[in-house]
Amino acid sequence: MRALRLCAILLTAAICLPSQDLKEFEKKVTQFTLANGLHFIVAERHEAPVVSFHTYVNAGSVDDPSGETGIAHMFEHMAFKGTETIGTVNWPSEKKALDAIEEAYDRLEAERNKGPKADESRIGVLQAQLKMAIDGAEAYVVPNDYLGIIETNGGAGVNAGTSLDSTEYYYSLPSNRTELWFLMESQRFLRPVFREFYKERDVVLEEHRMRVESNPQGKLTQDLLATAFAAHPYRNPPGGWPSDIVSLRRAEAKAFFDKYYVPANITMAIVGDVNPADAKRMAERYFNPLPARPLPPRLHTEEPPQPGPKTAVVDSPTQPIVAIAYKRPDQYGKEDPVFDVISLILSSGRTGLLYKDLVQDKKIALVAQASATYPDGRYPNLFVFFLVPSVGHTVDENLKALDNLLGQFKARKMDAETLARVKTKARAGVIRRLDNNAGLAQMLATYHASYGDWRKLFTSIDDLNQVTADDVQRVARQYFVLPSRTVAYLAQPGVAGAPGGRQ
Amino acid sequence: MKKTLLTLLITAASAAAQLPSVSAPPNKPAAGAAAAPSYKDLKFPPLRPIQIPKVATFTLPNGMKLYLLEDHELPMIHGVAQVRTGNLFDPADKIGLATMTGMVIRTGGTRTKTGEQLDEQLENIAASVESNIGESAGSVSFSALRENTDEVLGVFKDVLTAPEFRPDKITLARTQLRGGIARRNDDARGVAEREFADIVYGKDSPYGWQVEYATANRITRADLQDFYKRYFFPANIALGVWGDFDTAGMKGKIEKLFSDFAVEQPPVPEFPKVGGSPAPGAYLAVKKDVTQTFFSIGQLGGQFNDKDYPALVIMADILGGGFRSRLVGRVRTKMGNAYDIGADWDANYDHPGLFEISGGTKSLSTVETFKAIQEEVDRIRTSEVTEEELKIAKDTALNSLVFAYDTRAKTLRRMLTYAYYGSPPDFIQQYQKALEAVTRADVLRVAKEHLNPAAFTTVAVGNPDDFGHPLDTLGAPVNMIDLTIPQEKLEAAQGDATSLEKGKQLLARAQQATGGAGPLAAVKDYIQSFEFQIESSAGGMLVKETDRWIAPTYFRQDTDLPSGKIAAFCDGRAGWIATPQGWGPLAGAQLKQVQSDLFRLYFRLLLSDRIEGRTVNALDDNTIEIADTTGQTARLEFDAGTRLPQRVLYEVARAGGPPIPAEEVWSDFQEIAGVKVPHRITVMQGGRKYAEMKVTDFKVNSGIQLEVIQKRP
Repeated sequence: MRALRLCAILLTAAICLPSQDLKEFEKKVTQFTLANGLHFIVAERHEAPVVSFHTYVNAGSVDDPSGETGIAHMFEHMAFKGTETIGTVNWPSEKKALDAIEEAYDRLEAERNKGPKADESRIGVLQAQLKMAIDGAEAYVVPNDYLGIIETNGGAGVNAGTSLDSTEYYYSLPSNRTELWFLMESQRFLRPVFREFYKERDVVLEEHRMRVESNPQGKLTQDLLATAFAAHPYRNPPGGWPSDIVSLRRAEAKAFFDKYYVPANITMAIVGDVNPADAKRMAERYFNPLPARPLPPRLHTEEPPQPGPKTAVVDSPTQPIVAIAYKRPDQYGKEDPVFDVISLILSSGRTGLLYKDLVQDKKIALVAQASATYPDGRYPNLFVFFLVPSVGHTVDENLKALDNLLGQFKARKMDAETLARVKTKARAGVIRRLDNNAGLAQMLATYHASYGDWRKLFTSIDDLNQVTADDVQRVARQYFVLPSRTVAYLAQPGVAGAPGGRQ
Repeated sequence: MKKTLLTLLITAASAAAQLPSVSAPPNKPAAGAAAAPSYKDLKFPPLRPIQIPKVATFTLPNGMKLYLLEDHELPMIHGVAQVRTGNLFDPADKIGLATMTGMVIRTGGTRTKTGEQLDEQLENIAASVESNIGESAGSVSFSALRENTDEVLGVFKDVLTAPEFRPDKITLARTQLRGGIARRNDDARGVAEREFADIVYGKDSPYGWQVEYATANRITRADLQDFYKRYFFPANIALGVWGDFDTAGMKGKIEKLFSDFAVEQPPVPEFPKVGGSPAPGAYLAVKKDVTQTFFSIGQLGGQFNDKDYPALVIMADILGGGFRSRLVGRVRTKMGNAYDIGADWDANYDHPGLFEISGGTKSLSTVETFKAIQEEVDRIRTSEVTEEELKIAKDTALNSLVFAYDTRAKTLRRMLTYAYYGSPPDFIQQYQKALEAVTRADVLRVAKEHLNPAAFTTVAVGNPDDFGHPLDTLGAPVNMIDLTIPQEKLEAAQGDATSLEKGKQLLARAQQATGGAGPLAAVKDYIQSFEFQIESSAGGMLVKETDRWIAPTYFRQDTDLPSGKIAAFCDGRAGWIATPQGWGPLAGAQLKQVQSDLFRLYFRLLLSDRIEGRTVNALDDNTIEIADTTGQTARLEFDAGTRLPQRVLYEVARAGGPPIPAEEVWSDFQEIAGVKVPHRITVMQGGRKYAEMKVTDFKVNSGIQLEVIQKRP
């Protein structure tokens, strides 16, 4: 028998090392910026002959154009499809075949655009021609060559992720193959070719089916965001809406790439058995050919004030889960460390107030956790509670218990012991994350890209140490208020008994 | 909310077998562009040899093994005590015992400190001590900043050697287990993996059975204590510690710390062998709330020490390991039918693992995808892989071996694992040599010898309404998997003298809280009227009801339903029921329901210690179980603060089916004749809310006559 898997929703709070630790760590770190604006951070750890790489692109699904949600994610998939020299048997011929696909697709869309006057039989013919063109281009493809090369060289943890704020690419290699990363990573941003776009679009749709349509938690979080945000693109799933995905075109991915993947908008971190001078030399050799381009425009859509509390009920024959979200400002506000402290007090370890009350004492929840920053932090976002009711206990009971707990939290000042405890935990949390090349590379790149300086990883702990019991109470009172609340929960179709009910 | 490109674990890769002709020609740079550097021109220096640090190994006077490895990079210390135990040792009627023991060793506190005190002490210094028991190993681990070494070691030692298993944390662990049972079918991917493994190992075997409400409910504190005692003794424990310390000093410290831990037990027996009754074939579990079919297809795998293990790893990699594998290339890249698809030859140290092809595809492409998988399995069994595929798979496996030893923590854990399972310490070096020697002929031979598609188990979880073609078009008859979770049956827990005595004390405490045994016993009859709001899912109506009771067991119930009035009477053994359609004797499920109501009648339940034939057994500090000789059982929970009864659990008999579990939550206590009586009752059935009852009138000792209440309308 396997160990039982509980349905835990793992959330990590942003925690971060004070200045004395920083001085020690700083000795290992080198950074430089290429003439084209591309920034590198290199941290040496020579314990084992391995090295981890992390590329952080300051563009995510919030930058998806209207009607093209999912394009940032689609490009992420395309970034593994090879280049003009990797993954093809004959690029000039393949290019012609790829152009032929687009021409066939244009003809099909032109007919479809006639709307009610479109000729159905002609659409059928054009679809068949499109399919033939797609199949025709297959002949020039070395399938999955790009990823295969990395794998064959011992690549570990090869992956990428598209979130609301960013797109990240990462893996580790035996350190004698460091140059391979420079070559592969630079080539995919110098010579992307977007091959097999429409087959990969099917794969991405399968991903959506797996992560959202067939996953109760996926359905819940998708609807939570779509309900909480009215205007800001945090309302869209990071993978896009299926009807947009199914209509994405290769030219749109190319346009997205050209606009957002500019060197000054990208940060790369390298951690492990690496010589910084070698790294700089290779960075110049491989990445200098990337042309400097202007930074992309900033997103100007702002979320308007929430007019009142909102509720979303998600039909699901599964057991209930409830998410309770309150609006909060972005990660650059002075209250950001206060939210981190609040989430640590409420939901870290077994001394977290949520765990103690709902899980341990009342036993009405299996899991009760808070996340200070959701779904991402660059724009005003949500402080979210996730509650998983235990057998025989309801969403309603859990909501009431949370309300009571937050009421008490706002009514009294946090004691000094609890405050000191969470600050100690935050500091130790950062130290614990320093012994992992891949994790470190991710943090260095993310902190540089988000705050302009990787040192924020350490100095943010100093910010957190300044937080007082007054701050905690003030921020809780100001932000945990009904009008800015959104509740989303899974409910058996046709079953009442939860807040807001259903008729 | 990360969107990740790969969920496949990249353990290894393989080649472009679909198009063997395309791999060769060298690429020419695009006209006009600067020549692109080619990865083929890169020359890599030889890899700096992996320095596997030397682990200091000792056996302490008490028999405990000790492994120490210094790691001065960060000011931290970590450790893990590995214990030879596992849930494979669960008794068949108490599945979940090892898991619960593993949870409560830590949460239940030690002889001197409660779990909560440990939580605070440890978290104040950002340290942790955790315990866990898995399938074939148990552990107690710790981690702390260097400055807190002595403090964390002290807690660690107490948790490992003197856990107290306090009852409230047993209840908590049971709540968590029960939550896992209730939710085990919510994730379709998890269902496919679980059912596949259970069917392949045999659902009658410790490798294939699973915890149920019934087995979890039966587990007592004594069981946990006995299980702990049997396995947690020095000669059965290996302790590994790594971090910022000096070996000689740490050895002395630990030896001293554990010098008084000297309990002895006979050696732990071997784990049961894999040998249940597997039932290969095609299986379908219906889940209508998904748009993909999640599948697992395969058979038993093998062990690490099989001589064919390296060739089997290469075979599975070429079939479905990495991005250049046959299955990924065909099903994902070419057909666009899956995001997640792969094959893995999974081995264990001491028993066969699973050979599993798994993934997910949209409902409509289920059959097409399964066909493609069948063809690829046949192909790898009938013709040799290409030289290029072989090279890719071997390079992938060999080049990534360095990651097995890239941190000191991994080195120490690997060493502990080898010692635990009796594997040679140079297992990785032997494996490396064997990988290098694998040939194309080996791959074909092992695929032929070890893969037996005729005896594959195929598990599909999805919505067959959307499959397009039914699953049995693949040739095999399809067995349906019933995902219904067996509902719990209340069974009287075995009481001992202590728990029976404690049960009486808890009941006496509750009698006191409600008004005292005297006023309770003084109630000889009552008339109770209430409104009964039935949930919309169960019919959604408002029912008015009046109950009349005369001690000891005369009971009359009049119900006003939208469809008419119903009356029923019972004298404890027999009775009648009258409906607008006529009347008849109370029988079957109806009689049982009324008898159960009588058994749980508020005043009687609270005086159970005075009723002949009833036992009152304490399950924990706030729960008692009341049972009688006729098989009636109810579990009563008290509020830890007010000590009032707050929840009663029981079973409701049903016509034509097993009884379903029910519970009532009592609140809004009001005083009637000196006794606090709940005026609001929430009724749950089968884990879902059924009704809300509001008492509108309650009179006691009004002198009702038996002749009146036993008269039919």
